[in-house]
Order: sequence, then C-alpha cells, then structure tokens
Amino acid sequence: MAKPAQSKATRRDFLKLAAAGSAGVAAGPFISRNAQAKPVQITFARESSYVKNFDVHFQNVMAPAYEKATGIKIEYQIQAAGGSAVPQLVSMVENKNGADLAWVQQEWLYRDALVDVSDIAEEVGKQQGGWYDEIKRLSIDKGKWKSVPNGNIGQLMNYRRDWFDEVGAKHFPETWDEFLEVGTKLKAKGHPFGMSMGHGFADNYSWLYPLLWSYGVTVMDKDGKKVALDSSETAKAVEYVKKLYKDACIDDCIGWLDPANNKAFLTGQISCTNNAYSIMVSAKRDLPEMGKVIDHGLNPKGPTGQRYHALVPVTHGVFAYSKDPQAAKDFLRWMMDPKQYRPWIASGDMYFAPYLHAFDKAPEWDIEPRVKPFQKVLETGKLTSWPAPANRQHGEVINRWIVIDMFTKAITGTPTKNAIAEAVAQIKTIYG
Amino acid sequence: MVGELTWQKRLLGLWLPLSGFLVVALFPFTWMAATSLKTNAELYDPKASPLSIHHPSLVHYIDLLKETNFLVWVGNTMLVAAIATGISLLLGSMLAYPLARMRFRGGSLLAVAVAITYLIPQTLLFVPMADLIGRMRLGNTLTAVMLTYPTLLVPFIAWLLMGYFKTVPKELEEQAMIDGASRWRAMTRIILPLCLPGFLSAGIFAFTLSQNEFLYALLFLTKSSVRTVPIGVVGELIRGDAFYWGQLMAGALLGSIPVALIYSFFVKYYVAGLTAGAVKG
Amino acid sequence: MSKILEAPRAGALAAPAHRPFRPAAFFERESVFSWLMLTPPLLFLLAFLGYPFIYGVYLSFFQKEVARAATYVGFGNFVKLNNDPIFWQAVRNTIIFTGVATIFKATGGLGMALVMNQAFKMKSFVRAMLLLPFIVPTVLSTVAWQWILDPGMGLFNRLLMVSGLAERGPSWLGTPTMAMISIIMVNTWRGLPFFGISILAGLQTIPVDLHESATIDGAGTWGRFRYVTLPSLMPVILIVTVFSIVITFFDFQLVYVLTGGGPANSTHLMATYAYSLSMGAGQMGLGSAVALSMVPVLGLLLVALTFFVRKD
Repeated sequence: MAKPAQSKATRRDFLKLAAAGSAGVAAGPFISRNAQAKPVQITFARESSYVKNFDVHFQNVMAPAYEKATGIKIEYQIQAAGGSAVPQLVSMVENKNGADLAWVQQEWLYRDALVDVSDIAEEVGKQQGGWYDEIKRLSIDKGKWKSVPNGNIGQLMNYRRDWFDEVGAKHFPETWDEFLEVGTKLKAKGHPFGMSMGHGFADNYSWLYPLLWSYGVTVMDKDGKKVALDSSETAKAVEYVKKLYKDACIDDCIGWLDPANNKAFLTGQISCTNNAYSIMVSAKRDLPEMGKVIDHGLNPKGPTGQRYHALVPVTHGVFAYSKDPQAAKDFLRWMMDPKQYRPWIASGDMYFAPYLHAFDKAPEWDIEPRVKPFQKVLETGKLTSWPAPANRQHGEVINRWIVIDMFTKAITGTPTKNAIAEAVAQIKTIYG
Repeated sequence: MVGELTWQKRLLGLWLPLSGFLVVALFPFTWMAATSLKTNAELYDPKASPLSIHHPSLVHYIDLLKETNFLVWVGNTMLVAAIATGISLLLGSMLAYPLARMRFRGGSLLAVAVAITYLIPQTLLFVPMADLIGRMRLGNTLTAVMLTYPTLLVPFIAWLLMGYFKTVPKELEEQAMIDGASRWRAMTRIILPLCLPGFLSAGIFAFTLSQNEFLYALLFLTKSSVRTVPIGVVGELIRGDAFYWGQLMAGALLGSIPVALIYSFFVKYYVAGLTAGAVKG
Repeated sequence: MSKILEAPRAGALAAPAHRPFRPAAFFERESVFSWLMLTPPLLFLLAFLGYPFIYGVYLSFFQKEVARAATYVGFGNFVKLNNDPIFWQAVRNTIIFTGVATIFKATGGLGMALVMNQAFKMKSFVRAMLLLPFIVPTVLSTVAWQWILDPGMGLFNRLLMVSGLAERGPSWLGTPTMAMISIIMVNTWRGLPFFGISILAGLQTIPVDLHESATIDGAGTWGRFRYVTLPSLMPVILIVTVFSIVITFFDFQLVYVLTGGGPANSTHLMATYAYSLSMGAGQMGLGSAVALSMVPVLGLLLVALTFFVRKD
C-alpha cells in the first residue's frame, strides 16, 4: 500500500513517488517506506550461512522472539555468497541507505561509517571469558570497537583418511615437507591434492598465507609500513609451492574459485584441500561412504617449526546512517547475550567458532570429533594482514590477489625472482 | 533453391550441419536437465556418466519451489522485463521517429549522439547509478530496475527502430497530410501500425536483455522478495562455498521457459523486424 | 488574441506581432513536432544516463575510497593505471577475448544462417531452439558451464575420454591459455545464435532473381555466394558485428562467474577489473578510471574494424 509515512512525508517525496509511479505501479514492494518516527523494523544483512540451520534458527527462533519482546521486527537480508556481499555493503555505505546492521566483511573499507560499539564488545568480552587478541586487531580501530566479532569460519586441511592410510600416512603430515611427500605418493596413485590458488577469497588465502608465515615471511612488517615480502625465505616458499603443484596437485587448481575444491573433493578427484568443514557436511548428507573417511588436519609446520592458520572473521557492525543506530545496537547486544548466542552458535554446528574463551571447552565441540580441530584454529589463527594492521591497503592487496598471483605466475612460467619482484613492486605502489 | 536437390546434397547441406548446430546449442541444456533430475549422490558419483539418470527425482524442483522464493522471482523478472521493455519501446520510438523521418536542425548530430551512448560501459555507470537510486530512495524496489534497465535498452532500440521507420515511404505520410490528417494522426494511424514487426522485434530483444541483467539487480535488489531470477537463484542457492547444483539447474530451466515460449510465438516477427531494421536501415 | 483566420501577410518579416499564432500549425512544423517528441526520451536519457556518465567520468579524476570524501587527483588515476601491469593485461585480455570471440561468432553465425536458409519442417521450432543459449540468463548457463568444464566430471572431458580422443581431458580453467580459450568458447556459444538469426533475416531479403541471374551468367554455388550473397549481407553482418563487439567488450558476468579473472589474471577483463577495484578494493575513482578507459580502447577497435572492412 502506497501510504507514505505520517510526519516525514513531504511534497518532494510525493512528487518522487509520482515520478516513480510513471512506471505504472505504486504499491507494495515497489515503493520503499519513508522514515518512520519510531523504528518498527531493523534490517540485518548477512551472507548466507553454509549451515542452513543457522539462518533458519535466526529467522524462526530469534527474530520472532525479539519482536515479541520489543515489538521491533527484524528483517533478515541474506546476501549471496561468493563475493557479492562486499559490493552490496559498499553500495549501502556510499548511498547511506540500506541495512542497519550487517556482517561487515572487509570492514576496513567503511570503519568510518560504523558506529562505536565498544560498550557492547567490552561487556560481552567480560561476560564470556575475554576476546582472543588477534580479532581485536580487526574490530578495534583507534581504540574503539567498530564491530562485535560473531564467529570464525575455521579453515583446515580436509583429507581422505582412507587414501592417506593407503600410502602409509597414519597421521596427517606435521610439516610441509611431509605434506609434499604424501601428496607426491597420492598423485602417483591417481589421488592428487587440490590446493586452491585462484581468484577466490578463502580457500586460497587459508593455506598460502599460513605457509608463508611458517617460512618466517610476512607480507608487511608489524606497522604496515614496510614491505617484508622480499626475503630469501619467500623464494623458498614459492619454490616449495611450485614443486607441490607439479608433484602433488591436480592441474586445475590454480584457477579454482572457492566452490571448486568442494566439487572436486566430493566427486572423488582429490585427496586433500584446505576448506571449512562444509565438505564433510555435504558428504555426510549426500555421500555417506565418503563422509565416513573425511577428516581434518591442522596446517603443517614450516621451517620455523611453527604452524599457522588464517582467520575468516564474521563481525557485526552498525551503520551510522541507520535511522536508529541505538535500536540496532540494542538488538546487537541482545543477539550476543549468552541466552541467545549459545543456542544460535550451536544451531550452526560450530561452523562459526566464537572468538570468546568461554567457548574453548564448550561441550558442543565434542558432538562431532572431527569438528573439534576447528577450535584449535583460534589458537594459531591470524588475520590475513598479520602482523600489519587490517586496513584498506591490505584490503587492496587481497582483492587484487597480488600474493596469490605471485605463486601462480611462478607456477605458470615466470621466474621466481621476477614473480616476487613484481608482487613486491605492486604492493609498494598500493601502500604508497 | 537453385540446383539439383539430391538427398546427398540435402544431407550435407542441411541435416548434418543443422544437427551440428543444434547439438552445440543444446548440449549444455541436456546436462542442465539431467542434473536437475538427479539426486546429489548420483551427481557427485565420479563413475556415473554426466547425462545418465539412474534414479530420476523431482526433489530439486520441489525444493526450489517450496523452499525458495523462486516463483516470486519469476514474477518479478517478468514484470520488470515487461515494464522496462514497454518504457524502452515508448521512449525509443519517440527518439527514433523524428530522427528517422523528419528533417530538422540538429537532427543528424542528435542521431550520432544517440549512437554514441551505446559506447558507455555499464561498469562506468554502476557506481553513480547506485548513488542516484539511493538518493531517490528506490533501493530494494523493483522501480529501481524498471527505471535503470531502459538506459541499457533505449539506445539500441532507438537505433533498431530508426532503421525500421526509414523503410516506410514518406509518400504515405505526405498523402495522409494532404488528405487533412495532422502529423500526429499520420504517425499513429498510418506509419506506426506498419512498423509492428519492428516493435515486436525490438520488444523481444529488450525483454531478453532485461531478464538477463545482473549487475544492477545485484546492487539494487538485496531483499529476497524483490529479487529477479538471476540474482535470486545465484544468491540463495549458493551457500558459502556449496552450490546447490540440482536446484540451480532446475531454476535455470524453469526460468528460461517463459521467455522461450514467447520466442517461439514471436520469432518470425523478430526475424522480420531485424530484416528491415538492419538491412534497409 | 490572434485572429486565427487571418493569413500571414506575404513578405511580413519585420512585423512578427501581426503574424497570428496558430497552435495547430505550429505543432505541425517538422522541427517543433520533432523536438517535442524528442524531449521526453532525451530528458530521461539525460537524467539516467547523462548524469551517471558525467559523474562516472568525474569520479575517475578523483581518489574516492568508500566512506571517505573524494580528493581531486587530476590524471593521477590514469598514471597509476599506466604503470599497473594488471591493467595492461586486462586491456590485452579484453581485446583478444572480443576479437577472437567475434570472429568465431560471425563465421559461425553466417554458417548457421546459410544452413537455416533452406526449407524444412519444424523450421520455427528449430529456430527457437537455436536461440536458447541467448535466452537463458547468462549467470545460470555460465554456472552450468563451470561443471561442464570440470576436468574430471565435466561433459566435455567425459566425451573426450569416452571417444578415446584423449586420455585425460585438458584442464579447461586451470591454465592461463585454456582459461582464455574457455571464456571465448562460452561467449561464442552464447552469442552465436544472435548472429545466426540476424544474418538469416538478412539472407531472406536477398531477391531470388539476383541468384537466378548469377546462375544464368554461369556462377556456381561458391560464385553465387561470393558475388551475390556475401555483398548483400555485408550491411547486416557489419551492423550485428559492431553491436556484438560493443556488448562483448563490456562483458562482465561471464568472467565474474567462471574464473573471477584468474588464473593469474589471465582472464581479467577491463570490466571485471573495474568492478573488483571499485567494489572489492573500495577504490571507486580508480575503478571508474578503468571503466572510462574502455571507451577509447573500444573506439580504436571499431576504427580498426572499419579499416579492415574498407580494404575489402
């Protein structure tokens, strides 16, 4: 119904409606509501969850409960996965119009447009065992919390225990060298690895960056001012990846976007890849025989003797352009209250691991033993910008796949030295 | 056809190449159809043939219709395409008619200008367009796309119709005016009806492009209830890194049926319209 | 008010006050009628196309990051792009992609049109079937192609392996060269029917007597094709080709869904690069600069085409 809201409707708005009505329609979903005096609706935008139940729990349990308690309707806007969430968020921020509250992916892009939520974050941290330090480097900007961390999508090595057993690998390889050995044997048997190295956003970064780190290499220094990628260790890492690709990997994987390794694994073409535990869930549901033999391993250790993991954070922020940021903040606070938060996280089968220490020993982790390693990710997990700040320049390096392409260029024929030099030059241009 | 028509000639000249083209055009659809009718277990089975279905199942179609807003998306898409096409035809013909049939100062310059608007890439426009739509508070409304799609369609439609309008002899108009009709009457009663195939042709083309559009829909339509088929299907049938292939393919097929039906009814007009517009223009 | 029936005095140039204003006649004037009719669409285009275009061009001279104010940088963005190897690779990729795909689509379309220009049963049905690749939403057919090109499971490689032509099919999206071949292939598949049907339309307008007189003069099938069919078709082919080049040059969806621009930027087109700069890296000024650069490059491509055609 095209009745514009009461006090805020102006002549201009009427004219705009009339103009828009030239399309011949003026009702229902075609005209957005004008500002209301009291918020009766909060829009919450979030990328779709792999575990559908998580979204269902929110829509069917949490949203109605909040509406019952406060009279405010929660509209859950599910954004498409695969890279379209960020463009939508960017669009919302630039046009100062859109969701009130969202999973603010790549939040360095619009921290300035987010409301200070330190009060909520501090409270939640105190209540639930304290925050993991690493995530603070994303959510805290100039001393203020701009987002409240909601959970980590853990990425580990997914592998076929049966095939690994066949080549004598009783435990998942501890070091990258062992990893290469096992992979070489498996490829010879027709079960290669499939390590994503294409223009995706998760499954490539989740092993290539930890690999670099375990070789003692970081992209930038701690302050994010000097490029640290040009070191002799980088060349060693690149040579390793070249060898890994040639001897142990399936040809296709240098072009893989994030869904490709799932597909390859489920169709029995690869024996190992780095991924969240979505593969195991799909297998258990559709291919029970395979589901029984999938397991998860931690990222191997490098020459430094350390192993690392990459964090894939889910954080929630409130936009300053919101018509009632306080209402959105209240909802956020309610959402993070253990009474709501715990069941919600459990409904997702711990796919999203809370960044709070109160959950370290939560019984939910023990429901499926193969999910438990994902809790360990938090112990050695770092933001992809580590050790530098997670800022716009870092975001640009990520979105232009500069480090990823360094590896793939070396694999497809560019001399290692040049591939590294080109990447370093491009990063220098970005950081200025 | 001139020449002797032996069956060998017919085979080589017609049936073989025709089947070739048909196979090339349609084989992905056979795969899409097969996938939409297979259970996930069969789909992922490495030993199974991609086109064989051992245990056909309608589960994907049922899930698609029951658990997603698919029908709403189809409705939205058809509505948006219809209205955007209507607006584009109206504006396009208003642009094309004078440029094709009237002589006036600035006419040729304007024709060139319209042709040049063609060369503006959508990727240059989408940021400003999002700003414009945001300012008009049309985010998440179908109106947003109904207004923006014509910007993609009007230049081409105008150019296509220009060619078509030019083919109607000026004498018809002059005769009508001598007989006392005004320009307006001559246009609406005599010239335009003769150009119906051109309109159908431009309309069908515009309709296809509208229901295919992705970028603006992605940016402006974020609520499930206002999504169009491409965005809705891609948005809600890809969760995290898992593609719901069966449902995706079911959606692709179901989404194409309405347009394919329209095409099969109107394809001869489509061809006729292009003929005049392109050849004689 | 003017007396409507009073005719204008002959030679009355210097006395406009005496010239009666006859609304009906006024609107009948070609220029008035034309401009009145042109006004609504022109206004629409100015508002919804002109303004965004100018804003887009304007943006490319600024550094505009998300949620921050824009700062003027003059040609700074273009200088950055000039020194950006990814940008030049995107330009190369776009030209190769557009050029090769167009050649395939034009020749394939011509072939399809020639074949279809014969009488047979169910011709309308077949025509509609052949248009299906063009009709189905691009995003969805491209998603299907992801699977069809899968090296182990995909239809292509399965057929290759089953027919014994290859032991293991190639990795269609896994090497820079194959990835480019794949996007050209998918684009050709999608666009060929459009060429085919349009050229078919052109074929059907060639008068039969032209063919007959050529045969009488002794021309065989090839001769007829070369001297009657092809020249008559040239206008159609040209127009459809130009249209297709423009659309293909700006193509975004296909690469976005199939490869994301990889591997190693081998399939990054100018459109996808502009998008990932604006929306991924949040550099809207730089992204607009890339998009704006598409126009001169496309212009050059079209000019090259005209030279190529003139030479004939």
